[in-house]
Amino acid sequence: MQPATMDPAEEPPSMLWGLDPIFSAFTRLYVRDILQMVESTQVPGIYFYNSHPIYKVDVLGTVVYQREREDFFCYGVDDGTGVINCLCWKNDLFKEEEHPAKWGKPSDGDQGGFNPVAELKKLRRAQQSRCRLEIGELLRVRGPVKTSRQQREIMASTYYKVNDPVMAFQIAWMMEVPQLYRQCYDKPLQLQPNATGDSAVSSLSKATNIIKDFLKQKSVCRFRPYDVQDLLQPLISSEPRNASADQEPVAGPSACQQLHQLLKEVLQILQDEGIVYRKVKSQDEVYHVTAHDKDLLIAVKDIIREDSRREKYAEKGCHVLHILSAVRQRYSLNVSKAALELVLKSLESNSDVVSTSDSHYTAF
Amino acid sequence: MLPAATVFHFPWEIYNGAVQEGESVRVFGRLVCYQPEESRATLSAQHASKEHHVFVHTLFVEPFNPIIGAQYLVLGEIEKAEGVGVMVRARVLNCVDGVNVALLQKAINEQRSFFRERDDAAQPEHAT
Repeated sequence: MQPATMDPAEEPPSMLWGLDPIFSAFTRLYVRDILQMVESTQVPGIYFYNSHPIYKVDVLGTVVYQREREDFFCYGVDDGTGVINCLCWKNDLFKEEEHPAKWGKPSDGDQGGFNPVAELKKLRRAQQSRCRLEIGELLRVRGPVKTSRQQREIMASTYYKVNDPVMAFQIAWMMEVPQLYRQCYDKPLQLQPNATGDSAVSSLSKATNIIKDFLKQKSVCRFRPYDVQDLLQPLISSEPRNASADQEPVAGPSACQQLHQLLKEVLQILQDEGIVYRKVKSQDEVYHVTAHDKDLLIAVKDIIREDSRREKYAEKGCHVLHILSAVRQRYSLNVSKAALELVLKSLESNSDVVSTSDSHYTAF
Repeated sequence: MLPAATVFHFPWEIYNGAVQEGESVRVFGRLVCYQPEESRATLSAQHASKEHHVFVHTLFVEPFNPIIGAQYLVLGEIEKAEGVGVMVRARVLNCVDGVNVALLQKAINEQRSFFRERDDAAQPEHAT
């Protein structure tokens, strides 16, 4: 658990760092832990807390040390577990400072109207008051951790004074941070590739993806199950053949039956997700691909356009369920809500329809 | 160059030997008395039906506006002076009147129990 003792060889490979969500977050570590994290031997500027790669942090603490330089402030921030130096750059607005003596004078054009120059001055003053802190004031800093002259410090990318007269913010922070540690920082990262998961589940999701990719790449409008059946063959054939090599063929589901079963499940998933639907339910199983079904798109568009002209829907637009029942009446009884939502999404991204509020659509 | 970290302590822990001289602490309490001529403030807190006092040396934070009866938070070092006993030499003295003391205590305990948990978890690892 003590990070200082971690063996450099145990460092996770840099290729995997980006997979750790903590890597791209501003971690709210205690200052004590920031000071104790080990620096990476592969890439300086990256640190490890519990094998989590970390390079930027988020700290709240009392200023206990303060130095001002021409371009930056140096604040020592104490969060009750440690003290760390924070390098806080002054921004340009801050540096263009005029003499404070001029502040008091009201400008000549001050007639109570909107005066951009005066407003900018006000903004500048507000900014300065948030950036210049005295000892004892509360500072929030976010930024990457750096080591300069063997001293850890935070290179602030944002920093500001926190007004916390009754400590409400500090208390909330103190309550939250241990939870973050328990739920994220102290949990080891588990990178389990999907392949080791349940094979039955993964073959189903693999099969679904294969069909989805096929429909997308070939811009298929409609298909029958036996059109796509062969695509799933590679998923089925490998396992049973291995088994039957050293055993006598046993009475069980044959490869063909397995294939049918898998295809049936995949088609069910695709229907549930609204990616395909059956326009007519008949012996002849024809599946229409929602995204490539121009007739459906036009039908939905027409319904919305016509109905949004009606007084009842003019103001708010048509509700999804209203559109759904209209589509079922006029176009096909079997269009599912999921399929309709896909259609609406694609119409909306083409600006053919506009969503007015949650689940309401209109067209012009 | 940087001062030591000030660790939260309850007012009733200052005198029971839990903190050593020179240790950096942060303590809260209600200001009950201020003697500017001696630079001495007294904070008070109720705990277990007893009233506990903390003496604060305020030379470094003067002048400040003493509000008798208000809650204050002090950051400083423990000092043992002759005749006075244990006192906190304040580096920071903030008025935090209106603070939810019960919630603050809870937050401090929360933080402590987290560190205790983590240290306990780390201990067996070192033993092996």
